[in-house]
Amino acid sequence: MIVNYNWLKEYVGAALPEPTEVAQLLTAHAFEIEEVEEVAGETVIDVDVLPNRSSDCLCHRGIARELATILDVSLEKDPLQESPVLIETDKISVNITDTEACPRFTASLVTGIKVGESPDWLKTRLESLGQRSINNIVDATNYVMYAIGQPLHAYDADLFPQVDGKWQFGVRYGNEGEVVEILPEGGSTEPRQITCVGTELLIVDESSNTPIGLAGVKGGQFAGVHTGTTNIIIEAAHFHPTVTRKTARRLGIVIDASKRFENECSRELPPYAQSEIIELIKQTAGGEYQGTIDVYAHKKENPAVDVRVSKTNALLGLELTQDQIRDIIIRTGSAVSEKEPGTLVCTGPWERTDLLIEEDFIEEVGRLYGLDNITSVVPATDVAVVVNPRQYYSEKIRQTLLGLGFSEVITSSFQKKDQIQLRNALASDKSYVRSSLSKNMHQVLDANFFHMDLLGIRSVQTFEIGTVFDKVNAGGREGALGYKTDDGVSEHLSLAVGVRQKGGGYTPKDDAPLQAAITSIEETVRANTPFKWSIEKGVAEIDLSAVIDSLPVPESYDAPVERTAATYSPVSPYPAMARDIALWVSEGVTDDAVMQAIKEPAGDLCVRIDLFDEFTKDGRTSYAFRIVFQSQTKTLTDVEIGEVMDAVNVAVEEQGWEVR
Amino acid sequence: MSNQPGHQHPLTQMIDEINHIFAEIGFAFAEGPEAETEYYNFDQLNVPKDHPSRDMQDTFWFKDTDVSEPTVLRTQTSPVQARYMEKHGAPCKIIVPGKVFRNETTDATHEAQFYQLEGLHIGKGIHLGHMKGTLEHFFSKFFSGKTEVRLRPSFFPFVEPGVEVDMRLLEGNSKLAGKWIEVMGAGMVHPNVLRNSGVDPEHFSGYAFGIGIDRLGVMKYGIEDIRDLYSGDLRFVNQF
Repeated sequence: MIVNYNWLKEYVGAALPEPTEVAQLLTAHAFEIEEVEEVAGETVIDVDVLPNRSSDCLCHRGIARELATILDVSLEKDPLQESPVLIETDKISVNITDTEACPRFTASLVTGIKVGESPDWLKTRLESLGQRSINNIVDATNYVMYAIGQPLHAYDADLFPQVDGKWQFGVRYGNEGEVVEILPEGGSTEPRQITCVGTELLIVDESSNTPIGLAGVKGGQFAGVHTGTTNIIIEAAHFHPTVTRKTARRLGIVIDASKRFENECSRELPPYAQSEIIELIKQTAGGEYQGTIDVYAHKKENPAVDVRVSKTNALLGLELTQDQIRDIIIRTGSAVSEKEPGTLVCTGPWERTDLLIEEDFIEEVGRLYGLDNITSVVPATDVAVVVNPRQYYSEKIRQTLLGLGFSEVITSSFQKKDQIQLRNALASDKSYVRSSLSKNMHQVLDANFFHMDLLGIRSVQTFEIGTVFDKVNAGGREGALGYKTDDGVSEHLSLAVGVRQKGGGYTPKDDAPLQAAITSIEETVRANTPFKWSIEKGVAEIDLSAVIDSLPVPESYDAPVERTAATYSPVSPYPAMARDIALWVSEGVTDDAVMQAIKEPAGDLCVRIDLFDEFTKDGRTSYAFRIVFQSQTKTLTDVEIGEVMDAVNVAVEEQGWEVR
Repeated sequence: MSNQPGHQHPLTQMIDEINHIFAEIGFAFAEGPEAETEYYNFDQLNVPKDHPSRDMQDTFWFKDTDVSEPTVLRTQTSPVQARYMEKHGAPCKIIVPGKVFRNETTDATHEAQFYQLEGLHIGKGIHLGHMKGTLEHFFSKFFSGKTEVRLRPSFFPFVEPGVEVDMRLLEGNSKLAGKWIEVMGAGMVHPNVLRNSGVDPEHFSGYAFGIGIDRLGVMKYGIEDIRDLYSGDLRFVNQF
C-alpha cells in the first residue's frame, strides 16, 4: 500500500514526525517499509501491510490511525469518528438473494453534477499513488477508497433504467453459462466477456435482470459515467471475502477493490464512504444530494474477548501490570473494561476485523509496548535427545563415501517423465516427481566428466541421498517415517552412488570402484536384512528407508565432524583447457619444488596443477603434471595457452630439467 | 590425484551442523513427508481454503486421480509440527530440516525446491524470550560469533503473535558482521494449531520458527546463486 505523507499528516496532525521516522516507527511496531520516495512532488511511503491488517490498513486513515496508536495521540481529523447522517431515498431499490454473500448494499443519488477535471490537489494525491486522474467523479470514488478503504462505483442515472419510479439494483449469483461483460483490462480497449460458472456474485439491473458487474471484483460498462453525465448513483457495498476471492482468483483479477473485499474490510464502512464521497463531489462537481438507500441485512459485531494479564506476560515473556496492558489496548481504539482483577474484557474498534481472540490482543500489547523489550532466555544444555536414525545413518554413509573420494550432490525432485505427474507443473520438462535418483545420477556423471581436469579428478564419483516418490495401491502402507501414506503417493529415502571414468559413458571399469563403495556402505551400517541394490551402468541405488528401518536406533550422535570454513567463488562459465608436461629431474628434487617452478610462468590463467605420474630410474625422477587453465571472462585459445606453455618449458629447462 | 576425499554438499553439511547445535540444547530431529496432504500443509496450520493467507505460498498439487485426498508437495516444513504434536504430545522440542517446494519462477534467489529449517518448542510457560535466546544461541554457534536477534511484528497464520526475526553478527570480519539481516519468520504457535494437534493451549505454549537453509548458505558461504545447490555440478560442490 503506497501512502502519501501529506495525506497522513492531514489525519494525524502536527504530531506526525518526519517521513523517515514514520518509516522507522512503522517498521518497529507495525509494518515493514518497502521504500520512501518522492512522486509527483509528494513524499510517498510504500508500506507492506500485513495480511491480517489488510482489513483496515489498506487506506490512509488506517495507516494514520496505526501511527496515532504508536505515537499515543488522537487523530486530528478522523473520517470514521462521527456516524454519518444520510437522508433516506425511495427512488432506489435493492434486492439481494444471498444476504450472507452481500450483507450490506448502499446507493446514493446525486443530481445536477458537472463532470470535469478534478482539482489539482486531488489529481496530485492520486498521481502520487501512481493513479491516473480520469474525471472528478471517478477520481472521487478512488480517492475515498484510498482514504478509508471502501471500494465504490458510480453509475450515470440517466443510462440506468428507472422503472416504476425506482432505480432497481439486484444482487444475485450468475447462472451457469451466463455471459457478463466487464470493463477492458490490461491495456485492451475491448470489454472482457466472462462466462459464469454459477459461483459469481453479480450486480444486476433488477428491472431487466441485466448483469452490470461482478460484485466486488470488476464493474461493467453499463451506465458508465461520461463527460455529459449530470445525475449519478454511487454504490458502496460489502461483499463476502470468500465469494469475492473465488471469482477474482478464477478470473485472475486482482484489483484494489477485490483486494479490500477479500481481506474483509468492515461492513460498517459503506455509509462513511457515502458521506465522504457526497461531500467531495459537492466540492468538485457540484450537484444536489438526493438521498441514500442502505440495505443492511447482517450486522457483524466484534467479539468481547477476555484478555488475561497472566497469559499476556506468559506468551510475551514480559512483566506488565494490568494497567499497562489496559492502556496499550485502549490506544488501539478498543473498548476495555475489567472483568475481575487480572482479566480485561476487550472489544476491538469496529474497523478492525482482526481482533478476535486473546492472542490477537496479546500481539497488540507486544508490538506496541515494543518487542525490543523482550529479554532473551539462554537455553540450557540438554543432551537427552532421541536420535533420528535417518539423519544418523545417512551421515555415517556420507562420511564413508566421502572417505572413498565420492562427492555429494543434491538434484532436482522434478523430472520430464516418470510415474507421477503434477497437476500444475512449473514447466513441461519438470512436470513429474522423481521415482528414483538414478536418472539424475547418470546426468550428473555425464556433465561432470567434462570438468575432471578442472576438478583434478580421474574419475567422477558421486552420490545422492534424497526422497523419491512412487504410487501405492489403495489401502496404503505404513511409511518408513512412521506416518501412514494412504494417499496413493508413497515416498522413501533413496541412496544412489555413481562412478564414471570415460567420456563415452559407462565402461565395465566403473564396476570395481562402485562395488568397493557398496561394500564399504554395507560394512558401515551392518544391516540385518540383505541389501537390495539395483545396479545399472555404473550407478547403484537402494531404498535407504528400508535399510534404516531394519537398524537399531542409536543412543547418541557421533561427535561433530571438523569442518574447515569454505570459501566459495562462482564457477566460471568458460571452458577449462588442460596441458600435460612430463620432465626428468635429479633424484631428490620434490614434486612440490617442480610445481612451484611451473606455477609462476603458468600465470594467472592457471587454476590448478596436479601430479599424475611419477617414477624413478637410473638416478633420475620423472614427473608428469597436468596444468589446467581457465578464464573468468573469456574462452581461451590454443595459441594463447601455447605461448604460456612455451614459457613454462623455458622456465623448467632453465632449472636444468629435461622436458620429455 | 585419485585418492583425495570427496566433498560433502553444503546443505547436508549445514544440516548436520544445525542438528548438533540444537541437539545440545535438547531439540530432536523430526521429519515428515514431502508429499503432504492439503490438510496438514494448510488447514491444520490455520490456513483455511479460499483465504488470502494461502496466497503467501504458491503450491504444487498432485493430480486428484493419484491421491485419495488433496495432496501437495509441501510448501513448508511446518506440517511436521502438527504431525509430531499429534504423535508425541507436549512438551516437545524439535527441529525439522527438510526439502520444501514452491511453484514459483526461479532465479538466483528463488528455487522451486529448497531446504527449510523448522523449529518448534512447546512446554509450560514457554514465551518469546525463550525463542529469542534460543535463536541467538543458534546463530552465534552457526556463524561462529556472538549474534543478537531483533523481533519485529509480522503475520503468519499459524502463529499469534507473529514476528519477523532479524539477526546481527557482533564479532568477526565476515561480510555479515555489524548489519541487521532479516532472516526468518517466527512466533508463538497459534492456539488453533495447538488444539488441532491435540495440545491444550491453556496448559502449554510454545514458539515456532522457519528459516531457509539455502539462505543460511548464502550468508555463511557467500553463495550467489542458490540454483547451484541443485545443479549436481562438482565445480560447485567441490569448493566445500
